[in-house]
Amino acid sequence: MMTSRSLSLLAPITLGIIILAAWEAICRLWHIPPYLMPSPSAIWRALMLDGMSLLHALLITLEITFAALVVAVLGGVLIAFLLVQSPLIERCLMPYVVIMQVTPIVAIAPLIIILIHNTPLALTACAALVAIFPVISNTLQGLRSVDPDLAAYFQMHKATRLQMLLRLRIPSALPMFMAGLRIATGLSLVGAIVAEFVAGTGGNSAGLAYQILQSGFQMDIPRMFAALFLITVAGLVLYAAAASLQRFALRHRS
Amino acid sequence: MSSPVLSLSSVEKIFPNGVRGLSPVDLSVEKGDFVTLIGPSGCGKSTLLKLIANLHTPSAGTLNWWGGGFKDVGQKGRRMAFVFQDATLMPWATIVKNVRLPLDLEKVERTTANKRAHAALERVGLGHVADQYPAQLSGGMKMRVSIARALVTEPDLLLMDEPFGALDEFTRNRLDEEMARLCYEDGLTTLFVTHALHEAAFLSSRVMVMAAHPGRIHAQYEIDRGIVRDETFRLSDQFAGISKELAILLEDASRDSMIGQEARQ
Repeated sequence: MMTSRSLSLLAPITLGIIILAAWEAICRLWHIPPYLMPSPSAIWRALMLDGMSLLHALLITLEITFAALVVAVLGGVLIAFLLVQSPLIERCLMPYVVIMQVTPIVAIAPLIIILIHNTPLALTACAALVAIFPVISNTLQGLRSVDPDLAAYFQMHKATRLQMLLRLRIPSALPMFMAGLRIATGLSLVGAIVAEFVAGTGGNSAGLAYQILQSGFQMDIPRMFAALFLITVAGLVLYAAAASLQRFALRHRS
Repeated sequence: MSSPVLSLSSVEKIFPNGVRGLSPVDLSVEKGDFVTLIGPSGCGKSTLLKLIANLHTPSAGTLNWWGGGFKDVGQKGRRMAFVFQDATLMPWATIVKNVRLPLDLEKVERTTANKRAHAALERVGLGHVADQYPAQLSGGMKMRVSIARALVTEPDLLLMDEPFGALDEFTRNRLDEEMARLCYEDGLTTLFVTHALHEAAFLSSRVMVMAAHPGRIHAQYEIDRGIVRDETFRLSDQFAGISKELAILLEDASRDSMIGQEARQ
C-alpha cells in the first residue's frame, strides 16, 4: 500500500513528467521555433549556458526579497503593537493602513523610485510595502485573539502589563503572526520582481526581472523561460521555508 | 470568633445593558464549607461566582473576603484560586509551566516554583505528564491540570465555575471523587457552580438553589459534612434521598423562574 504522503508527492511529479514529455514531443514533431515556444530541452540548455549570470541575478532579487521581508515584519509588528494600544490610535491609523494596501504597487512604484535615489533601497521599499499588510493585519488579529478566560486569570493573579504582554499576548498572537509571515514571504518576492520591472535596472545590479525583460527584447525566449523557472523555484523554496518555520513555531499546539 | 471566609450582604448586579443579573444576595461561607450554586441557566450563578472572584464589580451591596476588601486577597491566609469551565491552559507551554503560572506571576523563585508545581501535579495524579503539552492530553486530564494550577497556590478559597460540565459522565464522576477527597480531607473551602444535580448532591456540604428572572437564591440545603464521599456513597439510599430532595427544590426554582420570565414579558 502506498501511503497518502508519498502519493501526494508522486502524483504531481508524474503529472509534471507527462506534461514535460508532451511539451517536448509537440515542439519537436511540429518544429515549433524556439522564439515562439521553446522545448523543455532548449530551456534546459539556456539554463546551463546562462546559469551563472541568471543565478547572479536571482541572488540580487533574493537580497531585495529578504531585505523587504525583514522591513515588512519589523515594521508590521511595530505598527500592529501601536494599533492595539488604544482604540483612538487604531481609528487614526487604520484608514491609512488600508489605503496603503488598496493602492496597487505598480502604480506607486515609479514614484518611490524617483523619490529614493538608491535603487536597491527603492526596490526594497516597494517590496516591503507589498508585504507589510498581511503582517499588520494578522499580528493585530493575533494580539486580539487572547482567550478572555485566560486574560481574566492573569488579571485575577494581579499580573502586570509587561507580564500580560510577554506571557499572554505575544504567545497568543504567534499562530496568526506565523500565518501572516508565510503570506508576506511570498509577497516580498512578488513585490521585488514587480519593482524591478518598473525600475528596469540594468547593469551589474540587475535582478531576475530585468533578465526577463532583456531576454524578451532579444527574443531569447528559452532564456526567458529559464529565468522564469528560477523565480518559480525560488518562490517554492521560500514558501516551504516559511511553512516549516510556521510548523516549527507551533509544533506543540495541535 | 474569626470572620467568615466570604460574606456577601445585599450584593446586586445590574449589567450595563440594564439586565438584572442578580437580585440582592446574602451569603456567608465559613472555613471548610463546600458550597454549591445550582440553578437553571440565567439564574446568575456564574455571575455570583465572578463577583466573588472580583471579575465583576457589584452594582450594590458589599462583599468581604476574610472580613476585608479585595486588595488584601492574595496575601498569606487569603489566597483565592479560580477554575474555569474550560481548562484554560496556555497551549504553548508545558504542563508544568502551566501549573507554575500563578507562582511565576508572583515571581516565586524558579526552583521552589518547580518543586511546588510538580507536587501539585502529583496531587491530581498527573506527575508523569509534567513535560507534555496541553494538546497531548485528554479533556479530563486538562481539567486536572487546571485544578493543579489552582492547588499550587495553596488557596484558602477555591472557586470553580462548572469545571466538569464539558466532560463525559464517567470522567466527571472520577473527578468529583478526587475533588471531594482534596477538599474534605484538607478542609479546603470551596465554592462550586454546577448545573448537574448529582454533582451538587455528591460534593456539597451546602447547596444554594438559585432561580432566574431575576437571578436570586431560592433555597438552601444542608448536607452532613461527615459523609465520606466515595463510590459507595454514590450508590447509597442516602445519596438517592438527597438527590430527590434537591430535585424537588430545583423543580420549584425553575417553575419560579418561568413565572418571573412571563411577568417580565
